[in-house]
Amino acid sequence: MTALLEIDGLTGGYQDTNVVFDISVKIEAGSLLGVLGRNGVGKTTFARLVQGGIQASHGEIRLDGQPIGNLPAHVRRCLGIGYMPQTAMVFDDLTVQENLSLGRNGKPPDRYFDLFPRLAERLKQPAGTMSGGERKILAFVRTMIEDTKLIILDEPSEGVQPENIDRMAGCLKERVAEGAGVLLCEQNLNMLAGVSDLFLGIDSGRVSMTGTAASTSREDLNAVLML
Amino acid sequence: MSSVLLLNLAWQISTLALVALGLAIVFGKLRIMNMAHGEFVMIGAYAPVITSMLGLPGWLQLPVCLATVGFVAFVLERTIIRHLYGRMFDSLLATWGIAILLREIVELVFGRGYQSVSPPLTGTFSVLGADYPAYRIAVIIGIVLGFIGLYLWNTRSKVATQIKAMVGNPELAEAIGIDTARLSAGAFVFGCCTAGVAGLILAPTVRIEPMMGLDYLIRSFFALVVGGLGSLEGLGIGAGIIAGTQTFLGAVASQTYGYLAVLTLSILFLWLKPNGVRSSSH
Repeated sequence: MTALLEIDGLTGGYQDTNVVFDISVKIEAGSLLGVLGRNGVGKTTFARLVQGGIQASHGEIRLDGQPIGNLPAHVRRCLGIGYMPQTAMVFDDLTVQENLSLGRNGKPPDRYFDLFPRLAERLKQPAGTMSGGERKILAFVRTMIEDTKLIILDEPSEGVQPENIDRMAGCLKERVAEGAGVLLCEQNLNMLAGVSDLFLGIDSGRVSMTGTAASTSREDLNAVLML
Repeated sequence: MSSVLLLNLAWQISTLALVALGLAIVFGKLRIMNMAHGEFVMIGAYAPVITSMLGLPGWLQLPVCLATVGFVAFVLERTIIRHLYGRMFDSLLATWGIAILLREIVELVFGRGYQSVSPPLTGTFSVLGADYPAYRIAVIIGIVLGFIGLYLWNTRSKVATQIKAMVGNPELAEAIGIDTARLSAGAFVFGCCTAGVAGLILAPTVRIEPMMGLDYLIRSFFALVVGGLGSLEGLGIGAGIIAGTQTFLGAVASQTYGYLAVLTLSILFLWLKPNGVRSSSH
């Protein structure tokens, strides 16, 4: 059976400087890959290479068996890759409502308004005037309602209150149960350990650890962040 | 203030707003300082001349204008402009070169001499107790209605929101499925076409010649400096202040004082209020 996402020997970075090297990994439909590593080891670059924001210099990326490595980001989105960036994750000048309605949405946001009522209260407010945590939640909900088959999230819990992180984790579990694949770059071990089926540790742009949820202990995860 | 002066003010303000609209779109949305903007006005003004040369009926002037300006803008966007988005100084130099090229091509085809065309509407219309050319009245009403339509489109359409999203955060816009290259190309061609339409509208009221665009570029730039970039309201205010000052002083003193006042105002705004009266991301 073909994996939802297959990454083979992925190498890439910015201009002529490679940041990640020779990463290979698979994500099945209905599973969550947790990507962890310290700041600056290449998690965001890895996420952007898969999402299409930057192009790989070597390696292959296949979605449902089809090569997508040469496609621009907007085409990858149309093929079913949703993305929440770590920074600049919302359109600051647009209202919350415009942020939520701009994408190719498949799900209504109402269910997420119950979980994150602050969003519903601020629909007419420009997103740029919200706090960092609220913007993260807005970006998270925008990515969730896009209803894509693959969801890439880059540090969604950064600056978010613990109870909202738990709600985010609950939403991710739901989407995985519905059959979506998720690539979650995260430093929050509590969140990561609670939702991941597979782990990929990165250090200096290279794979430093892989493992399943069953075979990977909390100490193993801590060790990746301590490298 | 006499009725004729009031109507002249309305004519100057509305036509300047239309001429500056394309520059505001291309600069405000794409960060391309289009120094060839006046040349698109000029090419639009030549549309009636082309239509007449080809022996086509007068009602084809607008399609000929849009096809000519749109084609030139599309080719330029594909070959040069798309590599310069966000590079303001580079785009200024490149479009300055394009402006010279377009002027030379038009001069080669049509010659250096003046051309003139007749307005599609002749006669006068009595407004506020004064007889005023019917063509100008129709143009003023048309531009006002056009700007109302544009305002509604800008505030309500999804494409307008996509453009705002692209301007504010192009990488995220791509990530949510917006084809920013196509949207930018569309915005550039649309901006140039509005300049062409402005040229077509102005054609019966001015002398058509290859150098005519320069004055429109300068006045449009002044209107944007004073009004501020990024909003239709700012464009209207800028056009009102620039065209209003020039027309009023031109009527009560002389054109020289009008130009001097406009230049002084623009320098003062650049110095003291560089973002203009009203600048926003919209």
